[in-house]
Amino acid sequence: MSGPRQMISLGDRLARGMLIALTVMSIVLLVAPSLIVIAISFEPRGYIAFPPSGFSLRWYWALLERQQLLDSILVSLRISVMVMVVCLVLGIPAAFAGTRGRFPAKTAFNAFLLAPQMMPGMVIGIASLFFGAYISFRASDLMLVLSLSVFCLPFVVRIVMARLAGLDPLLDEASANLGAGKFETFFRVTLPQLAPAAFAGAAFTFIEAFDNVTVSLFTSDVRARPLPVELYYLVQFESSPLIAAISSLEIGLSLVVMLVIARAVGLERFGR
Amino acid sequence: MLSRHSPEASAPLSPRGLSVARFLDGGGIWPAVPALVYLLVFMVAPIATLLTFGFVDIDRGTVGEGGFTLSHMVGVLSDPLVWRLTWRSFWIAVVSTSLTLIFAYPVAYAYGHLRGAARTLLLVAVMSPLLTSALVRTYAWIVILGGRRGLVNQTLLTLGLIERPLDILNTSTAVLIGMTQIHLPFMILPLLAVLSERDRSFEQASLNLGASQTVTFFRVTVPMSMPAIVAGFALVFAVSYTNFIVPQLLGGGNYSTIAVQVYEQTIVVLDWSRGAALATLLLSSCFVFVFAIVAAGNWLTRWSEVRR
Repeated sequence: MSGPRQMISLGDRLARGMLIALTVMSIVLLVAPSLIVIAISFEPRGYIAFPPSGFSLRWYWALLERQQLLDSILVSLRISVMVMVVCLVLGIPAAFAGTRGRFPAKTAFNAFLLAPQMMPGMVIGIASLFFGAYISFRASDLMLVLSLSVFCLPFVVRIVMARLAGLDPLLDEASANLGAGKFETFFRVTLPQLAPAAFAGAAFTFIEAFDNVTVSLFTSDVRARPLPVELYYLVQFESSPLIAAISSLEIGLSLVVMLVIARAVGLERFGR
Repeated sequence: MLSRHSPEASAPLSPRGLSVARFLDGGGIWPAVPALVYLLVFMVAPIATLLTFGFVDIDRGTVGEGGFTLSHMVGVLSDPLVWRLTWRSFWIAVVSTSLTLIFAYPVAYAYGHLRGAARTLLLVAVMSPLLTSALVRTYAWIVILGGRRGLVNQTLLTLGLIERPLDILNTSTAVLIGMTQIHLPFMILPLLAVLSERDRSFEQASLNLGASQTVTFFRVTVPMSMPAIVAGFALVFAVSYTNFIVPQLLGGGNYSTIAVQVYEQTIVVLDWSRGAALATLLLSSCFVFVFAIVAAGNWLTRWSEVRR
């Protein structure tokens, strides 16, 4: 801190103490629930206790015997990969038009591209369910993929757009000065710089599709429920640490995804 | 990478590559057409259907004979329960959003003053819940608040602070706690972006002119971040107002909000006309409230500027 040293009054100290206390409480609030769930998943007995009475992997093994759960994990993995592909294929070109395109009403156009973000997941879910029924299209894997892609598209568009807007035009110029044509510059300079953003967008889309309950509850197939829907029912009827075990695995998966995003574009950039 | 101009790098592109580049980077609207068409078919058309279904009779997923009718809409709007639940949704969302703001602002402010590993750790703490399923986090609160063996009751009983376990789960307090925690990152992130890049010279000027740090914080820092506060408040309000998972799982079986009603009418009762009418009410009231929040926020920003 530059400038003259300030006199710090008692009131300021109190206020600063308040601020620090609130920050610490907030961080505990953010992190503690996940840590508690992970701790509980190692409980050797048949009910939830914290701290756990011992350490065992019993509930992780129990998971392997629940065929329905394993099936739902497979359904979710399959669905999430498909949603990721759809969003990348639609989102990356759209981001190009949104940043580099020159056409009338571009602001409105960009707002429309990001509009699904403003829609509550439930509204997208119910609307898809009704529209599907109207055109005689049953809730199925395909419908789940189509509706989740609407929900997830803005994630890819937003992050790729941010990257495109932040590209240094000097690099393009340098490439041109070195004798590359406009399109060679595109393939050898622009696209490689875009890869991390596309990668991060893909990772985020995957995890959003994998975790989503609000859309999935309405558009998933009753006979092939994805994991979040299965969990939604399980949470209401099962009280063993089994759910804590699945949840811990999900937390682990999200940490991996966060690491991937951090390596690709940096968490800070992604936060906006 | 660019310094060495290798022969491989200057090899001519195939005609196909050229057309792909022209398509994506040509400066037209064309690359976005697939996404636009996709959103029109799978978002706009479904939402149009949803809005229409509130005004016709729906029988097992197909439109009935009657044609246009206002009966479902009138039925919903004249139901005192609906108004009570809308009111409850509104208050739960306002209180929980205000709580997220109180908890989020210090974190975002602290982030700007941290460096190195502490900064990264703080960001991880903020981002990690965002990437964890909302269901998992709701489950965590069931475990923490729930029943006799819940974490809160266990601790309080062991410490001898209470004699009988408290009933926190299945009350609006539980819903409020759960919602606040689950939506906290949505409030922190917009604030963090603005607060960490703010121009510190105004604050320094205020300090140099003799204002205390507390006064500077409330009279300079907070007013300068008003746009981010309004944006965060509007976003968190909207997600809280339409959240039906948390009230269902933490509020217990007989706790309902307008969003829970939409879910129950559509999935449990299977009265799609009423579900659609309720969803229309939910969506339009949400827009009205968000609009009011943004308008009030802008007014407040102007007011504080004039006063300064």
